Amino acid sequence: MGLPLFDAQSDPGPSFVRFAELAGLTTPPTTTDLSAHATTVVAVRYDGGVVLVGDRQATSYYVANRDVRKIEAADRYTALAISGSAARGLEFIRLAQLSFEHYEKMSDAALSLEGKANYLSPLIQRNNLTSTLVVLPLLAGWDLTHQIGRIFEYDGAGGCYERQDFSVIGSGTPYADSTLRLGFRTQMSREEALELAALAIYEAADNDPSTGGPDFVRGIYPMMVTVGAEGFRELGVEVTEATFRAINDRRAATRGVAGGNLR
Amino acid sequence: MSNYFYVAPEQLIKDRAEFAQKGIARGRSIIAAIYDVGVVMVAENPSASLYKISEIYDRIAFAGVGKYNEFDRLREAGIRWADGTGFTYSREDVDARALANYYAQHLGDMFTEGQKPLEVEILVAQLGNKFRPTKLYRIAYEGTISDEERFAVLGGDAETIKGRFAALENGPLNLGETLAHAVAALAGPDRQLPISDLEVGVLEDRGDRRTFARLDDATLAQLLE
Repeated sequence: MGLPLFDAQSDPGPSFVRFAELAGLTTPPTTTDLSAHATTVVAVRYDGGVVLVGDRQATSYYVANRDVRKIEAADRYTALAISGSAARGLEFIRLAQLSFEHYEKMSDAALSLEGKANYLSPLIQRNNLTSTLVVLPLLAGWDLTHQIGRIFEYDGAGGCYERQDFSVIGSGTPYADSTLRLGFRTQMSREEALELAALAIYEAADNDPSTGGPDFVRGIYPMMVTVGAEGFRELGVEVTEATFRAINDRRAATRGVAGGNLR
Repeated sequence: MSNYFYVAPEQLIKDRAEFAQKGIARGRSIIAAIYDVGVVMVAENPSASLYKISEIYDRIAFAGVGKYNEFDRLREAGIRWADGTGFTYSREDVDARALANYYAQHLGDMFTEGQKPLEVEILVAQLGNKFRPTKLYRIAYEGTISDEERFAVLGGDAETIKGRFAALENGPLNLGETLAHAVAALAGPDRQLPISDLEVGVLEDRGDRRTFARLDDATLAQLLE
């Protein structure tokens, strides 16, 4: 690629996507393909930010991959999670990460959290309306201007909706969503929110074949992330293992019966 | 019928060079220097929002003197080139030398073929790692590219400032010492530069992927104590 210079009329400004289109770096998605799909992620607000928990499995007709990272730091204060086509989703994360950084370098100012959420809308719309490889992301982060954690979810046509409590994406949604509906309280602590979000993923993995649960054999556990005033933090494997082992032990003690105090 | 007068190529080049030099000499200078663990760029710049030094990529920074609109467009092109290359290939494949060459070609083209030469002088700095060396590439208005050792000075008064800085500098020092020498060299013997007139950017490993940082007035005051 040569030096990308533009005159004032055709200049793509600080948008990386517009630049990438002008420079021919991205190709419009048109193929239909049965590729691996990435599945359940939940985001829950707590009093100091947002927690996210997501499974690690990519599913085709078989388990395509057991340690996919479906939650990534889009930047220091923003987490981006994906569901739907794994191939498109992972590219989507790369494009979003780069877009936010590109904007920041070009303009010497970081985008607001709402600005980032809105920026993704046309990207999702363009991808989903031109391809069968549908991507549905989830954006959650710490809003530096308003000093609160915020969650944004999207519909298939790119519509962006802010959620006050929690959000779920992926094929395990019915099970994870039910768990969160029953368990969610306002003013939860970080630990309570993490516990609840982990339980939601456990339930989704229990009933949805495309969602991977804790893998005690391989030592692969769902990802657990917090985003607060201190920024994006991914919890270590000691914490994720302990969390899921505790849920699993409780469930094993009742021979799989869930509900009430047995949760 | 219009008349075209013959102008010797030597004269044309000389005129263009003088034109560009005059434009560049109007602005204040910039020093970039390698210190023990990084690269520091120091500019005399009373404006707190129109930057002369900025981030291009994870380990690459840009500095420009001369006409603001001209070097700012080059800065933007550099960011686009770096982000585009990193997106297409890998972040590891973004190399300052390639970017410096593109800049040199563009400045060279503008000097010989453009309506007027660009009145800018720019610097591409790269912080080294296991795979790449720390580098300072200075690119002049006519496209001459020079690979500077230890430090580089941009701007009209470059030779004088270079002399002053070279006299102070002996081997790689820490950030505070290097910064103090750079400020002294920029100021000269007859004046003091207030901290509010300094723009300082560094490339240094702090455990993050991105290594560029601007130093604010409080940090500068602390370092220059």
